[in-house]
Amino acid sequence: MAASAADIRSALSIPESSTPTAPQPKKSTTTTRKPEGISRELYSLIGPSAPSLAAQLAKPRLKQKPKFGAAGSKVKWELRAFKNPARSDSLELRHWEKVTPDGPGEYPFAKYNVQPNTYTYTQDEYTRFLEDKEWSKEETDYLFNLVRDYDSRWYIIHDRYEYPNGPPRSLEDLRDRYYSVCRKLIRHRPWAGDELAKAALVSSFQFDKDREVMRKKYIMSLENRSQDQIAEEEALYVEVKRLEQNERRFKRDREALLRILAGIDSGLPDIQEDDGVPLGITGDPTAIRKNKKKGGQTTDLESPATPSVPSVPTGGKRPHTTKNAAYDLQHCITRTEVPTSGVATKAAHQPAYLRSFKLPTPKAAIAPKISQSLAELGITHTRLVMPTRENVQRLEALMEAATSLVETKRMVDKADYEIEVTKQRMALREPSQSGDGEGRVEGGDSMEIEGSQMGDGENEEGEDGRGQSVISARSGRGRKHVSRFFFIER
Amino acid sequence: MVNYGGDEVSALVVDIGTSSLRAGYAGDDTPKAIIPTSYGYIPAQPDTDVTMSDNTTENAEQPAEKPKFSKIFIGESGPSMWRPGMEVANPLENGLIQDFHPIKPLIDHALNKVMLVNPAEHPVLVTEPTWNTPANRERMAEIMFEEFNVPAFYIANTGVLNAFAAGKGSALVIDVGQSMASVTPVVDGFVLRKGLAYSSLPKLVYAHSRHLLVTPTQHRRGIELWPHQLIASKSPVDVGAMPKFTLREDRVAQTTQSWRTWAESREVDEWVQTVAGVLEQGWNDQQAAQRPARQYEFPTGANAYFGSERFIVGEQFFFHSAQLVASNPNLPKNIPQLITEALRACDPELRQVLMGNVVLTGGGSLFSGFADRLSNELTRSFPHAKIHAPGNPVERRYGGWLGGSILASLGTFHQLWISKEEWQEHGKPIVGQRCK
Repeated sequence: MAASAADIRSALSIPESSTPTAPQPKKSTTTTRKPEGISRELYSLIGPSAPSLAAQLAKPRLKQKPKFGAAGSKVKWELRAFKNPARSDSLELRHWEKVTPDGPGEYPFAKYNVQPNTYTYTQDEYTRFLEDKEWSKEETDYLFNLVRDYDSRWYIIHDRYEYPNGPPRSLEDLRDRYYSVCRKLIRHRPWAGDELAKAALVSSFQFDKDREVMRKKYIMSLENRSQDQIAEEEALYVEVKRLEQNERRFKRDREALLRILAGIDSGLPDIQEDDGVPLGITGDPTAIRKNKKKGGQTTDLESPATPSVPSVPTGGKRPHTTKNAAYDLQHCITRTEVPTSGVATKAAHQPAYLRSFKLPTPKAAIAPKISQSLAELGITHTRLVMPTRENVQRLEALMEAATSLVETKRMVDKADYEIEVTKQRMALREPSQSGDGEGRVEGGDSMEIEGSQMGDGENEEGEDGRGQSVISARSGRGRKHVSRFFFIER
Repeated sequence: MVNYGGDEVSALVVDIGTSSLRAGYAGDDTPKAIIPTSYGYIPAQPDTDVTMSDNTTENAEQPAEKPKFSKIFIGESGPSMWRPGMEVANPLENGLIQDFHPIKPLIDHALNKVMLVNPAEHPVLVTEPTWNTPANRERMAEIMFEEFNVPAFYIANTGVLNAFAAGKGSALVIDVGQSMASVTPVVDGFVLRKGLAYSSLPKLVYAHSRHLLVTPTQHRRGIELWPHQLIASKSPVDVGAMPKFTLREDRVAQTTQSWRTWAESREVDEWVQTVAGVLEQGWNDQQAAQRPARQYEFPTGANAYFGSERFIVGEQFFFHSAQLVASNPNLPKNIPQLITEALRACDPELRQVLMGNVVLTGGGSLFSGFADRLSNELTRSFPHAKIHAPGNPVERRYGGWLGGSILASLGTFHQLWISKEEWQEHGKPIVGQRCK
């Protein structure tokens, strides 16, 4: 229990000191306010030296509350009877509708009641243009009614087509009749617009019955394939694929072989690799076109293995002709030999560069010595004022000379040192051999034995230790496993 | 509100099936009233006075207007409640309404008693199976207009509605109900009538499972299908042991044959729904034997394990054995046969479209393993077949009602209603003209 000064005073009956207990140091409210997002207790602990992080602990910003009903007036709904203009009768149904100042409008769904544009004909027109020995006027009328009723949905029309005592009609018969009648009507009626529009309209009613029938037959035959036939077809397809791939691989191999035998400059690169579609069965025409666009440099899309031999020569390298040489000379173009051996990887590719960017540099190990020696001659090798080809070559030669010089120097130094050391050793050995040789041998032996023992022990311990550490990092169950593995390794 | 094309005019949708009658508001996702279509009645006896029994006054109809029944009992406590001398009947036969007498009380019960609406204030959409006759739909229109005084009426095809419920305009609808299985090609919201194929396959499955239960085998004694209404007491017995139960003899004496048949069929149905299944990969004795056996206890207390025989039941949907075919020339076609028949009648161009949009619906299709087996059967001959089989049982059982609910709440649909005015003006032919 802590006793305050006042307690002690009262206990010792000492009069109250004139100065009251020191006034509480004024809270420095004026200087620093407690920042937002920090609790009062925490702030009183750390004081105004709040970490900068606390400043970001502002109140989390919540999503703004939507204003319900505050903005604008309330939306009123009303149960209203409405009439549908698409109906011919006076049926009134009732639905809930938003109350708008301008009253109920047109029924919004009436606009979807679109009547299809259908053709009709008069008796006169029929007798003049539309007579057909297969079709009576009544049946044609029946057909046109159905087409109107079912909005030219031909499958439905065909399904519902039941003309009494009429011959059985196929879907194509019906369509053929309808479209031919429409075409005739358009052709023979007076036309207000231009001929082009008329032709377009007529062609929109074009119907090739034979072709449709043929198409349906194809579909049927596709569907009627038996399981065996489908399997056979698939097997054949796979076989064709396989043959093609074999062919391609063979060609590639042959080309690679020839290139190895005859060398790269024998003109062989001009041999074009075959396009991927020799048999013309597989692949769609677009793929072929794509291949053509790439300029014959085909990458076989189907083959899973990427060609190991680079087929670059076709596009990558131009053979040197005299014309090219002349051109190069004229335009000061220098061609560098691309390293042809090995796989053409991305890294091996050498883009165009400025010569000044590729000045020869000394080996990093001996660079300071070279630069020192060059500095003695008063030459800076890092910068060429005129990095012409000759200059660069010269610099290169110089660098090489300097390098060889430095290396020779180093060799000489090393040899000298070794000679020195050997000499010293010889000098040391001569007096010691004359002294107590026996004792030395004993000690040496014992040392050796101990050393070997120690070494073995260390070796074992070291290995065990390593095993331990591995084991300890794993679970107990793994221990056996690891140690077994370890033994095998040993 | 215009965004999804909906415009609610508080229409009612009534879907009458063999097992249940569904009614509800258009725009809802579940019917509000689901009542069994089977009804109980006490036949009218012209020379004797009918005494009103005290517990069924709410469902009692006046015998004066319905001479066939002195009393009719409808709803959840209709046929399922035992009453002395009560007969049970179903107005539907092969999915079609054969007896229109109880239709009015049935609809009346669903709308007025369960939904508590006045049908005179709401347009009503009724469903019909694809093979419905023109006379039938006209009669239905007559009932709705004359008896219920509806302001507008429409009758729509369940095949189309099931396709709509699945969100498809073109589909091959495979509907397995309680009495009928049908395959209906739907194109652009119209049924291809020539492609329709249907058979009373579920009845065969029912008969088969009943036969299976009642006939004793060497492992199991035959099962007596007494419903719980006729059992006074029972005590638990071991599997396969003789059941110990006492009958309510007073009731048994007064039970009619039709009620007994109805109650027994419920027991069989219950068993089928609980135990029976179908193998996903086609019949295979080994696989059937590998499946775990299921225990089932009947109201008599008799209980047994059902092993591979429970899969024989489902096999009837997909495969008829040669001896069965030989013994019964009028065997209803199984599902693969129905599909083949429907597709053969369709345009070859349509077959691809239809097989890509197969809609499986109807309560019978909830049969355990049905959807998987169907998809296996289909992909064997149509590798690209795609089956829409909602996992939600409500969507499966009430697909027709759901489609009606969608259709009748569409803004563009409201021009198709047959109004009372049109009915009075044109009479019955308007139904055929409007509802194509």
